[in-house]
Amino acid sequence: MERAYRRLDPKRVVFTALLLAVCLSIPRLTDSYMLRVFNIAWITCLCVLSNYVLLGMCGQNSFAQAGLWGVGAYITANVVMKLGWPPLLALLLAGLGTGLLAFVLGFAFFRLRHYYFTFASVGLMTILNGLFMNWTPFTGGALGISNVPSFSLGSFVVNTEEANYFFIFLIFVIAYLLIKKLYHSPLGRSFMAIRDNEMAANCLGINSLLTKSIAFGITGILCGVAGALYAFLAGYLSYQTFTYQQSTMYLIMVMLGGTSAPSGAVIGTMIISLLQEWVRPLQNYMQFFYGLGIVLLMIVQPEGILGGGRALYEKWHSRKRPASTVAK
Amino acid sequence: MNLQLLVSGIAMGFIYAMVSMGMVLIFRAVNIVNFAQGEFLMFGGYLCYMFNRQLHLPIVPALLLAALAMGVVGVIFMFTSYWPLRNAQIRAIVVSAMGASIVFKEGARLIWGSIPVTVDRVVKGTAVIANTAVVQWQNIAIIGISFILILFVYLLLERTFIGHIMQATAQDRYMASLVGIPVVFSIALTFALSAMLTGIGGGLLAPLFFLNNTMGYTTNAKAFAAVVIGGFGSVPGAVIGGLLVGLIEAFGGAYISTTYQLVIIYVVLVFFLMFRPQGIFGTRIQEKA
Amino acid sequence: MKNGTVAKDRPVLSLSKVSKRFGGVVAANEVTFDLYAGEVFGLIGPNGAGKTTLINLITGVTPADEGEITLQGRNITQLPTHTRAKLGIVRTFQHPRILDRCDVYTNLAVGADLAGRRRVSSRNGREDRLEQLLDLAGLTEINLNDSIDKLSYGQQKLLEVVRAMLSQPLVLLLDEPAAGLNRAEMDHVVKLIKLATQENIAVLLIEHAMDLVMNNCHRVTVLNFGQQIATGTPEEVQSDPEVIRAYLGGAAHAAR
Repeated sequence: MERAYRRLDPKRVVFTALLLAVCLSIPRLTDSYMLRVFNIAWITCLCVLSNYVLLGMCGQNSFAQAGLWGVGAYITANVVMKLGWPPLLALLLAGLGTGLLAFVLGFAFFRLRHYYFTFASVGLMTILNGLFMNWTPFTGGALGISNVPSFSLGSFVVNTEEANYFFIFLIFVIAYLLIKKLYHSPLGRSFMAIRDNEMAANCLGINSLLTKSIAFGITGILCGVAGALYAFLAGYLSYQTFTYQQSTMYLIMVMLGGTSAPSGAVIGTMIISLLQEWVRPLQNYMQFFYGLGIVLLMIVQPEGILGGGRALYEKWHSRKRPASTVAK
Repeated sequence: MNLQLLVSGIAMGFIYAMVSMGMVLIFRAVNIVNFAQGEFLMFGGYLCYMFNRQLHLPIVPALLLAALAMGVVGVIFMFTSYWPLRNAQIRAIVVSAMGASIVFKEGARLIWGSIPVTVDRVVKGTAVIANTAVVQWQNIAIIGISFILILFVYLLLERTFIGHIMQATAQDRYMASLVGIPVVFSIALTFALSAMLTGIGGGLLAPLFFLNNTMGYTTNAKAFAAVVIGGFGSVPGAVIGGLLVGLIEAFGGAYISTTYQLVIIYVVLVFFLMFRPQGIFGTRIQEKA
Repeated sequence: MKNGTVAKDRPVLSLSKVSKRFGGVVAANEVTFDLYAGEVFGLIGPNGAGKTTLINLITGVTPADEGEITLQGRNITQLPTHTRAKLGIVRTFQHPRILDRCDVYTNLAVGADLAGRRRVSSRNGREDRLEQLLDLAGLTEINLNDSIDKLSYGQQKLLEVVRAMLSQPLVLLLDEPAAGLNRAEMDHVVKLIKLATQENIAVLLIEHAMDLVMNNCHRVTVLNFGQQIATGTPEEVQSDPEVIRAYLGGAAHAAR
């Protein structure tokens, strides 16, 4: 069954083109410090997108994303530096390896229902962070790993901040489009069916355990790829980066943007990433107001910015044509 | 068996028991895992520091005042971070509690600075037990005071009218409101009790470990593990779980590695989740058909 | 509709001495019946007789204590719910279990997805299939991109039947599809049931609206406290004294 073919909305096309133009001209508009901020933000977007898939689509709350992000980063560093394999292979291995790890762990964790998966994910996060800190042969222990080489493909080396920007942005766009595609696929629908009504989903032939594990596996792939990008960009990995606090940040970002569409993840990530930079001079008070802002946002609009925007849009539309809102 | 380690493990266990019991009280009342429970411990400790070191009160009245103040903090927390969201999705409440924990953490930093602080001991000095083990009196005091407080809260819940009101609200809010129980009051009381119990823990802990504004997270993580290990929603489970976590931490730190302390606790937690998800005391969270 | 001849050679679904107890309550006691392709089999009985439990047992939502359930000769008693669905057992719910945060299209598509997973999507491949079903359900006016909560309760129940039909099941279990529906919506339910029998689907119908059962079922079984007290054609069952005592006696006035 295919959705009826919808003509491309010209407004949408113009909007997308504009957005793309802005994103692509950012390296021209900012200094290298801000460009680094943007690079990290796009990488973070991948992790937060994974939160969209797992929480927004499949309804499962995990706090392990930053840990999986770290797994991807350390896999990359080891593959490139110890095995000397090409970076592209490392990127793929980081994505697939982390995805496989998450998928297998998902099988164990999702045998537990409700809260228990969230508990287990907090446990996983803590254990992974402990391993990053102490497993010296793989992670360099407390000293971390430094001098991870930049990404390169043949003679083409991504070693400037600007080149990294386009490289990371490209990966982000691919991931974003794939997730959009996922939304309209049977797999994506089975995620949403589980989120909305697990018993109905089962009665429609959807295997909860397998499907949730796949969702967690996709989370792993996205975070693993993000980890690889981070390793190539930063060149230095420390256990202090891949923390539980970072995972809570991802959750806050996706909730700020809204979980009803992937764009919510991007909006939330960008707002928080940039806010943190712009208010750096006021750092002393800012964290306090940041916390206050989160509480306020949840009270005023628990569906995030997207939810708020939708509510406004519907209000405006129903005022425009009050009679035709309910189809009979 | 290292007696010294045993006593300090049990003492820490009782602190965790107070935090996890506070967490369970809130969970039973409103079905929400409070991700800011550890901050109650931190904030309670700082309030105790304020009364004890800044206002120069003796430690016992300082502890009592801190507990009272924490009761107020708990009620404020309830009305700002939970009550407006009571009908929203659980994840929104989780995030709001996370926001609140940032507010606690940063608030404490803005008020008291980021230099670690301490308070007076309830009982000074050390005791020699069984001729070999040197035990700090504060540890014994923690065990004694916590035990009494936990017992007190438990009896309050199980044996008194107000406890029954709170339990009725926890079980079925709608029915409770139908039979004339002031639901808001009952929930606020639960939050206050939870914050007081956990807050005193901060004041008791401060002489042993310096207080700092970021201690809430690790405390929360350990209390959380304790709650799951003990059995979610079970008050005795939270206490036993807390004690277990304290002991695992003490002995794991001494015999395996201090850097792996939290990891060991969480390996035990994941082990429990895999093979006995209902924990020691809990019943499985049932799915409604 | 009832005059259609039903192939009696080999049942699609058969229950053999299926029992279920909840504590001391017997929800199903040695329930035994066969379901044939293209027939509508009514399951009636007073409230609490164990009708929905029986559907839960067939779909595997609750495991059976004893007895055997076979689908096309294959023992499915131990299989999980989703596997049974993939084998072709699809149900609706007494209170519609829709995907409440999705649009109408997604709600329907999960049904078609099941057909895809079962690799029987040929019928859905026809473009007019969805239109045909929506037309029979009287839902042609709705916008597929609308949020599902814009639909009325009756529309949601009809949508659930359409969703089940899109999965092209072998066995369709309908749990009070007409409860809470108005006259016009009830007619749509009947039309959908008719299409199901034309497509050789075995239909198990739980219903309180007596005229719906009497007019559409080929055979009926009556359940009371988990016990099958009578099985036969609607006429036979209607005149069974025990049935009248247990069920129709009280509900006959209510049958509109």
